[in-house]
Amino acid sequence: MFKYNFKYEWRTLIRDRWVQSLSLLLLALCLFASYNGKQKVNKRNQDIAQAVTEVEEGDVAMLSLIDSIQAGLPVDVPSWRQPVQPTAVGNYHPRVVAFPAAPLASVATGQSDLFTHYVKPTLSGEAMLLNFTELSSPVQLLFGSFDLSFVLIYILPLIVIAFTYNILSVERERGSLRLLATQPMKLVHWVLQKSTLRFALLSLILGAGISLSLMLNGISLTATWNEGLSQLLALSLAYLLFWFALSFLVNLLGRSSAVNAISLLGIWIGLVLLVPAVLNQLSNTIYPVPSRARMINDMRVLKSEADKQQDQILAEYLRSHPELVSVEAGNEATAYGWWQRYFASQDVVKERMQPLLEEYDGQLNRQQQWVSQLRVLSPAVLMQDGLQNISGTASSHYRDYRQQVIAFAEGWREFFLPLIFKDKKVDAEIVAQLPEFQYEPTRSGQLFGANLLYILLYSGLLISLGFGLYNSVRREKLLLS
Amino acid sequence: MIWKIARKEIKETLREGRFRIAGIIVVALLSIAVVISYNYYNYVQKQHAQASSNARNLWTSQDEKNPHSAAHYGTYAFKPKSPLSLIDQGVDKFTGISIFLEAHRRNEAQFMAAADQTGLARFGDLTPDFILLFIIPLLIILMGYNSFGKERENGTLQLLQSQGVSPRKVALGKWLGLYIPISLLTLGLFLSAGVMLALTPDFGLFSWTALLLMALVYLIYYGVFANLTLIVSAWTKSGGLALVLLLSLWIITCLAAPKAASNFADALYPYPTRQEFMASVTQDQQKGLDGHNPWNEEAKRLEKETLNKYGVDSLHQLPFNFDGYRMQKGEEHEAEVYFKHYQLLKAQFQQQSRFYSLSAAASPYLPARFLSMAIARTDYGLHWDFADAAERYRLKMMEALNMDFADNSAYGNWAYKADQALWEGIPDFSYTPPSLGQIALSHLSNFLLLITWLAVSFLGLFWITRRI
Repeated sequence: MFKYNFKYEWRTLIRDRWVQSLSLLLLALCLFASYNGKQKVNKRNQDIAQAVTEVEEGDVAMLSLIDSIQAGLPVDVPSWRQPVQPTAVGNYHPRVVAFPAAPLASVATGQSDLFTHYVKPTLSGEAMLLNFTELSSPVQLLFGSFDLSFVLIYILPLIVIAFTYNILSVERERGSLRLLATQPMKLVHWVLQKSTLRFALLSLILGAGISLSLMLNGISLTATWNEGLSQLLALSLAYLLFWFALSFLVNLLGRSSAVNAISLLGIWIGLVLLVPAVLNQLSNTIYPVPSRARMINDMRVLKSEADKQQDQILAEYLRSHPELVSVEAGNEATAYGWWQRYFASQDVVKERMQPLLEEYDGQLNRQQQWVSQLRVLSPAVLMQDGLQNISGTASSHYRDYRQQVIAFAEGWREFFLPLIFKDKKVDAEIVAQLPEFQYEPTRSGQLFGANLLYILLYSGLLISLGFGLYNSVRREKLLLS
Repeated sequence: MIWKIARKEIKETLREGRFRIAGIIVVALLSIAVVISYNYYNYVQKQHAQASSNARNLWTSQDEKNPHSAAHYGTYAFKPKSPLSLIDQGVDKFTGISIFLEAHRRNEAQFMAAADQTGLARFGDLTPDFILLFIIPLLIILMGYNSFGKERENGTLQLLQSQGVSPRKVALGKWLGLYIPISLLTLGLFLSAGVMLALTPDFGLFSWTALLLMALVYLIYYGVFANLTLIVSAWTKSGGLALVLLLSLWIITCLAAPKAASNFADALYPYPTRQEFMASVTQDQQKGLDGHNPWNEEAKRLEKETLNKYGVDSLHQLPFNFDGYRMQKGEEHEAEVYFKHYQLLKAQFQQQSRFYSLSAAASPYLPARFLSMAIARTDYGLHWDFADAAERYRLKMMEALNMDFADNSAYGNWAYKADQALWEGIPDFSYTPPSLGQIALSHLSNFLLLITWLAVSFLGLFWITRRI
């Protein structure tokens, strides 16, 4: 019976214009979406590359300037900016601390339009107070991006609904349901076989669409297989399965095609539009984000206290305008004393503000982790979380990047302080030893497993509900109506 | 006859189960959204008011110190929340809440709410504008997709034709039957929101005119959707196909077109990265605006000119502290550089806006969204206005501080301290958003685009219903 079913269903599907046009639509959408995603990723990588090139050029100029100074030639640079001074190198020749795009970053824009992807922490700057948000149009942030994650989360379910809303109901409306009932197989098994076949076809089209669009964007499929492609395909197929399972259940309720369509669309609106918005609102109400306005106020109070303390170490106008201090040759003792006091005064600020900022970050962290637990209540949110983890554009990735930047900034400072206090001059050898940043990606494997599992669980639940319904009440209802 | 048809349509809709359920759900969601928005608005407003007064207290209660130290300590300007943000929160979540006003630097607004939230927040909030912009058009589609199809399916089409009524009158009747319940729902929402806002104290800028103008924008938006629904219903002759077409239209209009437009706008008129922006500003400050007149040269020239003007040989002989005067001129010089670069950024923003206007041809959602945000004073244009106002205040504040230092101390006397009189003498920052008239004028193009959509869809409806 299965072979019979398979043969004729396959033929019907292949010949159906409807099916053909929907497949083409899905393909076109995947291509357009991943093109958009790739544009953004290209811009991100270009920006980073440009910054790195600038730093390299700056380094070349710096080395030649160091040579000139060591050779005793006159230079047109004020003494406090001359790169033989470690402070000058630390402040005016910072390194690029970049967050490069993950191999599959074009799949989901995620939070990547909110944050910047490279910073250049300086010696005197406070890394904790660095601004990580990017300069971008808030209208663009409001509307979001037409990327692959949008197609998968919002549009794919609609295509599934269009494929499957009338699997059983059309037979009834055509009058062939009773004929089917005379076959030696349970109706529910027959619906399952048809659904499975359509699922297989749509999976093939989806897989081909995703792979093709990634290939056309220059992403190698073999290279990224372990870097997220297998996860992407698994998640997409699981999400597809969920919507097929939903359709399976709705069909088995035994109502007309029109009612099926409306019910499924209503569920789509609920699951994809309303439930995430409600969850978001709920999370803000139950566990609101700690108040930034209050943090600003607390910081200001601390800063005014710190100012008084700092004033005892070093006059304010020198703190804000280090260029006013002239470092004359032979007067190293003064310079040494001055820089010591400068960094001591900066440390005052750090000591006072750091606990406050850390407390705020801790609160924020806890809130975000609590919110991320809510994601299990909606397959759409699970899918979004999964896709963002594959693309490396979830908020957790940016939090982690921030920590790495702060750690590097500390390391940068640790490199220069001994040089400053020993009053060593910078030469080519020291330049070669300057710390370089290497981004370490966070591991997201565990989260992927959890997300996949939840979606599969939901699908399994729906399918078993379908079976349960059929076995309990629907069988007669379906056939006799 | 038209009203008879309209009444019949309304009765039918009210009696039908699916609309009742959908209607109840929408009303429930709207009520929840309004309540949540109201609470959130009060919460944020209170925080900002407190933060503003704290910032002012911290500023005025500063100890005696050099005015330039006070300039570096700076103060914060908080953006007030507009009452109509109860209905449309616009881009508030994506713009910073406060700007740090300090010497030598023009800062961006910091601490945007979205940066502190997870990806879940990008799905949208359950706010009234979410329901108004996305869900109510769906309700219109649900109510009207089978408007003409059901006549055919139920066999009542011939009955209708035999009445001798013109098909256009039928169409108008059906349009009224579809539009009146929706417009009543919308007006009900706006009136209750207005009453809530009017009854709450401390609402400075609430005006019924703005509220009604916003209601008008949404009413036109729903008019367009009602027309489109009836056009598709009349054209396709079958309920199922009409529903599919209308839903595709809804997805393209409300979801796909804005996203695609934002992608294109960003690709065509990109913003520089924050680092690039700061680097260009720093470069211009060092090398001078457009390569002319770098500050170190200008400062020397200023020195010479001032000495000449007062006929003295050394800076100590000037009747004021030259350091203060020079710092003020330096501040103005830096501000010019910032102004130039922010204007370039604004130009990109304006190009992007023009592109969105162009994309309105694909979707009536875009002009409606921009108009709604503009009237609620939660759009990007208002943020620019606020940032510019904060910058003007900052420059005045710096001038007051620097000139006090210049006028009241001698050259080289960095130990000069000003007292509370100076801090209190600088007025608090207060921001007045542009008037409704100004906003309406600057968004005339969006308004015209929306009206064009309405007119064209009416024409389409009239044309397609020339024969049922």
